[in-house]
Amino acid sequence: MTERSGAIVMRSGRPVAAAYRKKAIDGRLTALLLFLPPALLLFTLFVVLPIGEAAWYSGFNWNGFGKPTKWIGLDNYRFVFDTRGFGTAFRNNLLIIAVSLTIQLPLALTLALILAEKFRGSVALRMLFFLPYVLAEVATGLIFSFIYDGNYGLLASIYRAFGAEAPHLLASTQTSMLAILIVVVWKYFGFHMMLFIAALQGMDKNLIEAARIDGASRWQVLRHIVVPLLYPTIRLSIFFAVVGSLQLFDLVMPLTRGGPADSSNTMVSFLYNHGISRMRVGFGSAIGVILFVICVTFAITYKRWFMRNE
Amino acid sequence: MRIVRTLALAAAGFIMAAGAAAAQTTVRWLHIEQNPAQVKIWEEVARNFEAKNPGVKVEMQFLENEAYKAKLPTILQSKDRPHILYSWAGGVLKTQVEAGVLEDITAGVGDYKNKLSAAAVEAFTVDGKLYGLPYNVSQVGFMYNKDLFAKAGVDGTKIKTWDDLLDAVKKLKAAGITPIAVGGQDKWPLHFYWTHLAVRLGGKPAFEAALKGQNGGFEGETFQKSGELMKQLVDLEPFQSGFLGFKNQQALGFFGDGKAAMNLAISHHSATQRALAADKKGVPEDKLGWIDFPMPAGAKGQPTDTLGGVNGWLVTKGSPKEAVEFVKFFVSDDVQRALAQQNFIIPTYKGAEAALSAAFMQNVAKNIAASNYHQNFYDQDLGPSVGRVVNDATAEIAGGSMTPKQAAKAIQDAFKQGN
Amino acid sequence: MSDALAASRRPLDLVPYYKALFLLLVAAFVAVPLLATVLGGFKTLGELRTNPFGLPETWEWENYAGILFSGRYWQLLWNSLVIASLTVVLTLIVASMAAFAFAHIHFFGSSMLLSYLTMGLLFPAATAILPLFIKVRDLGLLDSYFGVVLPQVAFGLAMSVLLLRRFFKDLPHELLEAALVDGCSYVDFFRHVTLPLSRPILATVGTIVFVHSWNSYLLPLVMLNSDALYPWPLGIMVYQGEFSSEWHLILAFITLTLLPTIILFIFAQKHIVAGLTAGAVKG
Repeated sequence: MTERSGAIVMRSGRPVAAAYRKKAIDGRLTALLLFLPPALLLFTLFVVLPIGEAAWYSGFNWNGFGKPTKWIGLDNYRFVFDTRGFGTAFRNNLLIIAVSLTIQLPLALTLALILAEKFRGSVALRMLFFLPYVLAEVATGLIFSFIYDGNYGLLASIYRAFGAEAPHLLASTQTSMLAILIVVVWKYFGFHMMLFIAALQGMDKNLIEAARIDGASRWQVLRHIVVPLLYPTIRLSIFFAVVGSLQLFDLVMPLTRGGPADSSNTMVSFLYNHGISRMRVGFGSAIGVILFVICVTFAITYKRWFMRNE
Repeated sequence: MRIVRTLALAAAGFIMAAGAAAAQTTVRWLHIEQNPAQVKIWEEVARNFEAKNPGVKVEMQFLENEAYKAKLPTILQSKDRPHILYSWAGGVLKTQVEAGVLEDITAGVGDYKNKLSAAAVEAFTVDGKLYGLPYNVSQVGFMYNKDLFAKAGVDGTKIKTWDDLLDAVKKLKAAGITPIAVGGQDKWPLHFYWTHLAVRLGGKPAFEAALKGQNGGFEGETFQKSGELMKQLVDLEPFQSGFLGFKNQQALGFFGDGKAAMNLAISHHSATQRALAADKKGVPEDKLGWIDFPMPAGAKGQPTDTLGGVNGWLVTKGSPKEAVEFVKFFVSDDVQRALAQQNFIIPTYKGAEAALSAAFMQNVAKNIAASNYHQNFYDQDLGPSVGRVVNDATAEIAGGSMTPKQAAKAIQDAFKQGN
Repeated sequence: MSDALAASRRPLDLVPYYKALFLLLVAAFVAVPLLATVLGGFKTLGELRTNPFGLPETWEWENYAGILFSGRYWQLLWNSLVIASLTVVLTLIVASMAAFAFAHIHFFGSSMLLSYLTMGLLFPAATAILPLFIKVRDLGLLDSYFGVVLPQVAFGLAMSVLLLRRFFKDLPHELLEAALVDGCSYVDFFRHVTLPLSRPILATVGTIVFVHSWNSYLLPLVMLNSDALYPWPLGIMVYQGEFSSEWHLILAFITLTLLPTIILFIFAQKHIVAGLTAGAVKG
């Protein structure tokens, strides 16, 4: 924008300057005092302070009533790492990321490449695929807890049609996470697809045309021109997959509540089940702090390494 | 934008309107009862109370059992918290008392408490002060479907020992019948097995020693053995398929539908299973049997010892005095008899148990009266966080993801962490 | 990219058929659960078992009617609407003011403060949920709409400010300079020039914030206790807890609660897709 970025000057001495300039400075101050505080206040009060307080509370053994008094140092962190369920939750988060990268992302990319072209029904299909992303996680979870239900569910009906006994996917430590992963893909692939479609539509068509004229095959164009041009979007898509995994909670609750035997917790649902619903404020805060460190470290490193130019 | 503005105005108007309505005393009463037939009686009780006390309104709020347990700590911290809350007494109650969120109602209740079962009132007394009144006591035992037992050639009245039970399970399985329905997702129905085995194996002394950290605490021999015996049962695969995904209500419905032969139940579930069955009738009175929890070999506890609950109403801090009056009214002779007559509760009002009409519940009432050691549910008695770990660990034994030894250790660790 | 037609004219090229088959499979994967839910609400519990995929033998309208005529359903939607609307209005006001300051006013520490705000993008509300609960409790806002709205606004600020600031900066700067020369104040300029010119971005940000709030579960779950205030994601979980195995009723309830979202999506799909993806890309 403009080159001068002067600080607000509130000297009492009045240099001979254009009258409007002084007025503009006063106006600036008024505007700043009016415009900035609400945002800063809300943000500080409800975002920054709680994070700081989480660090403070995590040093206490506290059930949330009254004031924290029983200081136990870093014990809560030890308790968290000693709880087997936390390791499982962490592993599950990694699993979600892995599935996002190996299944969801290729699926979304393939669909985007097909649906970016205009043909009858392409827009309708795009909308259909995007629809799950708009639906609430809780409702999605409930829909699938019906699909998976061993007595009345769709899956059970398919098994019965073949004369087999239906598996209770959500009730086994072996399959509960698998069941959730399927729902994750169902719900989020459309969003990633839309990211890719948006990128494809913004792409310079001349490059592709030129390559085709030069005799490149469709596959070569895809491999050497289109996909490289999509790299920024792919990096973005990965970023969202990771961030989404780290906050996944709403979907887990209606499906399994993190069970059985803590087999399908994410870190946030672990925080809810073992921290909030038991009102172990210190323990829960320690999980929050760990989650915070993971999120911030990831976001900063990823941005620095992979998204430097964006 | 205009729409948004209109909505915001409408919203603001709504909030104000909601604040202006209450001119009389309102008693907010939070319950977790799901059986519509029972709730109907409660509503009548509330209306009767309002009729007798002009200017008082009783407002019923409902939360489902699991949702209630998960929300309770936060509910108690809200300034608009309900005045009357459902409670299982025990260590959870103690924590709430320590937190200072409950009202001492000793004076408000006065001598009235003498009309109620002393043991039940004692459960709601902490350091000599009364914080609530009990309206129901219960026993944990196996309720069973007599038809299904007959089909498998099992006589329920002959099941006295743990081995008898294991035999019955084998026979039922051989006959193609699911032996036991259990709500594994809620976990506490599974903790009954482990806890009741501990009550049988060690009796009161073992529990008290564990609380003091003696004999290895909850990692001690009694509790490890409980886990091992539970594992014997689990290894027979006695539960319905997918039991770890069933909530207790679903399991009760499953039993009520005649799809499983047994359910390790709280005595009043005999009524609940009817409400939750698909046909709303469930297993009828004459087909429903009761087995006291069997005695394992080498048990040091008495056969008369019981595991069960004491349910009552707490009054929260700062409640109007009408809340106490309502709780007293709720445990009055008439109301207790009305509920007992339909076999919804084992009443706490002395003499009201005479109104129980089903042999099933009369028997349970007798058991409880004869018991010298009535152990409250561990998940309530051990306080909010340790109790939940008992549930976690026993569910893991049932799911095969923890050995009895690991489970006992997990519980003892939680007990030592104490938060 | 544009040779789908050309390809289909070649007689032995199977690629279009593979594509069509693939699309069909994915479409079924997405649509079947949704259709089963809608139709399931019209069946009896028994029919859910015997006829899971087909149309209902007899359409059980009372499943839906029972819910539509209960005050409960409308109460839940109303609560969600109030919470989401308040969140949108507050976010737009607070964020646009801050974004204007960051876009048009030069002051010492501007970039520092902006980085401070955008820290909010780095972590989800869940990390601080327990202290947040304590904070809301200490402010006396537990069990009130604002106990949910204010944290939601706070956590939505970072993204909203960034989106709005970018848009504001792209507005022609000459406008502002001219207005200032004419004696117009920053505040007037903001109200009478910037905001009216920024309708598209306000709509985008509003959409994102609205959808997030409408669907949110964790914050209301922790902050609200009385069912009179429950937004629909909480209400639907309670409903499911109560009717545990009566799937026909639960499915009808799910369908009805999703209906507003789906209707809105059909009518405003372009804005919603553009909003949600733009929010993601530019945020």
